[in-house]
Amino acid sequence: MLSIVRITLKGIFRDRIFQGIMALSLFFVFIPSVASLSMRQVTELSTTLSLSLISFIMLLLAVFLGATSIWKDIERRYTFSVLSLPVSRSTYLVGRFLGIAIFMLIAALFLGSAAIVSIKIASLTYPPARPLLWFAIITSIVFDALKYIIVVAVSMTLATVSTSFFLPVFGAISIFMAGTVTQQVFDYLHTPSAQAAVSAAIRKAALVLYYLLPNLGGFDLKVHAIYAIPLNTQGLLLTGVYFLAYTGIVMSVGALLFARREMK
Amino acid sequence: MKAIETTGLCKQFKGKKMTRVDALKSLDLQIEKGEVFGFLGPNGAGKSTTIKLIMGLLKPTAGTASIMGKDSSTTDSRRQVGFLPENPAFYDYLSAEEYITFVGSQFSMESSLLKRRTEDVLKRLDLWEARKRPMRGYSKGMVQRVGLAQTLVHDPDVYILDEPMSGLDPIGRALVKDIILDLKRRGKCVFFSTHITDDVEKVCDRVGVIVKGSLVAVDRVENIMRSGVEGYLVHLRFQDSASRNFAGIEPLRTAGSTSEFYVSCSAFNAFMGEVNAAGVEVALVETKRRDLEDFFLSLVNKP
Amino acid sequence: MSAVSRPVVALLVSLTIYGVVLGSFSDYMKLKPIEEKLGYLPSTSFLRYASADHKELVGASLVMKVIMYFGGIAEKQQANVIVQPPDYRGMSGILHGAVKLDPYNMDAYYFAQSFLTWEVKQYKIANDLLDYGMKYRSWDWMLPFFAGFNSSYFMRDYPAAATYYKRAGELSGSDLSKLLAGRYMQEAGQTELAIAYLTTMEKGERNQSVRRNYQLRLSAFKEVRKIEMARDRFKEAKGYLPTTVEQLSQGGFLSTVPLDPYGGQFYLEADGKVATTSKFAFAGAKKAAKQNAGETR
Repeated sequence: MLSIVRITLKGIFRDRIFQGIMALSLFFVFIPSVASLSMRQVTELSTTLSLSLISFIMLLLAVFLGATSIWKDIERRYTFSVLSLPVSRSTYLVGRFLGIAIFMLIAALFLGSAAIVSIKIASLTYPPARPLLWFAIITSIVFDALKYIIVVAVSMTLATVSTSFFLPVFGAISIFMAGTVTQQVFDYLHTPSAQAAVSAAIRKAALVLYYLLPNLGGFDLKVHAIYAIPLNTQGLLLTGVYFLAYTGIVMSVGALLFARREMK
Repeated sequence: MKAIETTGLCKQFKGKKMTRVDALKSLDLQIEKGEVFGFLGPNGAGKSTTIKLIMGLLKPTAGTASIMGKDSSTTDSRRQVGFLPENPAFYDYLSAEEYITFVGSQFSMESSLLKRRTEDVLKRLDLWEARKRPMRGYSKGMVQRVGLAQTLVHDPDVYILDEPMSGLDPIGRALVKDIILDLKRRGKCVFFSTHITDDVEKVCDRVGVIVKGSLVAVDRVENIMRSGVEGYLVHLRFQDSASRNFAGIEPLRTAGSTSEFYVSCSAFNAFMGEVNAAGVEVALVETKRRDLEDFFLSLVNKP
Repeated sequence: MSAVSRPVVALLVSLTIYGVVLGSFSDYMKLKPIEEKLGYLPSTSFLRYASADHKELVGASLVMKVIMYFGGIAEKQQANVIVQPPDYRGMSGILHGAVKLDPYNMDAYYFAQSFLTWEVKQYKIANDLLDYGMKYRSWDWMLPFFAGFNSSYFMRDYPAAATYYKRAGELSGSDLSKLLAGRYMQEAGQTELAIAYLTTMEKGERNQSVRRNYQLRLSAFKEVRKIEMARDRFKEAKGYLPTTVEQLSQGGFLSTVPLDPYGGQFYLEADGKVATTSKFAFAGAKKAAKQNAGETR
């Protein structure tokens, strides 16, 4: 499994599309000057811009890497040679996944460092109203990475059954979009006005989706990082366990599906 | 225990409009250890399907396949085998050296041994110069040779090669034949598919012919060769310029003092008796036979 | 025509057309109606769902859009170019949307406060927005400071103002709010209260067009204060209220003739209150204030 992780990482670093996506991180250079347009919250705005840029780059990486790794292996017939080695399919899938997951953490480390530099520059020029909470900023970036690792797991699982990259790419994007709002929908459905307006059947269906789709809202700690709002340690711990459980479920389903897949 | 064994192996694919296509119909095959087996068949006959079933890439609709007694559905079955897929493709961002090392590590090879073996096979397949370059820059023949190198690196007992000669130039083909003969000498089992009969004739112990998903013949190559003899072409050199008939057989043509006779198997003894009695010099005897290609074509074209 | 020259000709033709159309195109874009430039805001709940995990970014970009839009118009006004007044109603709507996405965005509250009060006179809406912000920015003394000012200066609701100022004083730990709370809680202190407020705002402002706005208003109020002081001295000396500003300068109570930076004329109302014909706004802005009054949400 380790060697599969290693060649996965090698493959990502040598990929030109990855290099193109990472070139987007050049935008960090412009963040302090764009943020200075703010009237009252230059540091907060530069934190917002930095975290959003990280989020955007990682979304691209997650969808691109998660959706194309398995799909490309099958499409380019790499699977014939690799899966005829004494490697079980689940080992292969999990090795691929771990390689990408580790890469996402490395990317978070790299992008996070760039973000910290640009936030620091902004805060030196225009000190924020409240002292920066570096712990919240770093935690927010780490949880962002975890969120996109879930997206990777989802898109890889979709790729195990798909013959084209449309399902993994657009499926992952849709599930990501839906995952960021499930909590809002859930909260809305529990308001009295919704109880009256929405039929019971739709509420049931929404509830099923709420438990089925990843709840990515919990991984979004941007507000805490931007406005230096203290984090809830217990909540973070719960979110971490949720991450492990959800990823575990998705990857197990992926492994089961991949084991049944025929390599024509 | 057979090196490779299939029993009642069937494979159906879903075709268009809910139809089912029988790609393979109840294949029974036993390949012994130390045997070189040629798997002949026209394109689309089911050769690759059979091999993918043996390698566990496809799931059989019915029947079983095994390698060295281990069922193909298990990861363990692939421990003893080197597999070359048809028109292979490997992670093109890796170099040949990296890929061979990766393959060796999957067979849990000890690292110093792996390093030595990697060097051996890369040199053997003439990839040593190119070993550091990413494979995306390789020619088709080079990729094919990487494919062979990765079957050899861990020195397994069984080799399954799908169309090993395709994409190779004559030098490459000669190299592959050489490698197969070398493996045969070292008592390894080689199972390879091809649609080129010439390859089989030179290196195989046995040959199986598959047509439209069914195995139509399995035999030793020497038997096929022997049974295929139809007659002899005898060249005789006369002292006097006059050519004659022997056992009532007339010469096909005469050039100077030599004449050529076509003699059927049944007439051969009588013909040679008369030639001996006349004291005529026998310059050359050629065996006239149907070659493997004719044999193959006759099976394929059978209604 | 050879195969090589064909794309070259096509390029030249396209470049020519581009050059011809470019000028008219940007003119067209410049003349687009203001509503179109500011853009209509899709429903906030839609934006909340569509912005995925970029709510703060979308919120900030909405605020930026409003600030830039306002900056463009304000610059022209200050350069005495007659332009249509800003679409305050649209601006307010977008800022309200922005704080739905990111209830912590200080720029939104700050900017909304700056125009909802003086220009649009929607004090209730301004204070409701500030109350909403206080729920989230619980550490921020500025929001109650604004709300306190609005309550006392504009709405004359002194008990409410006192509560806000008390909170602002507690949060900031500075004396300013406490001072304001004590000293200006009466009608007479209105102008000083405004000057104190505007001085604080002007000092902390970095956005040039908004800062210019504060400076203008501040200088207007300083002039008013001068007239007020002259008026009081006049009354003390003569025992009755003056009726015109000219009386004050002629009587030597005012050393210079006060200038309204908004281009109006100062005058004295019957009760002695100092007013100006410009109503502290540029010619165009007055109409807008009237238009917007009552319909701003």
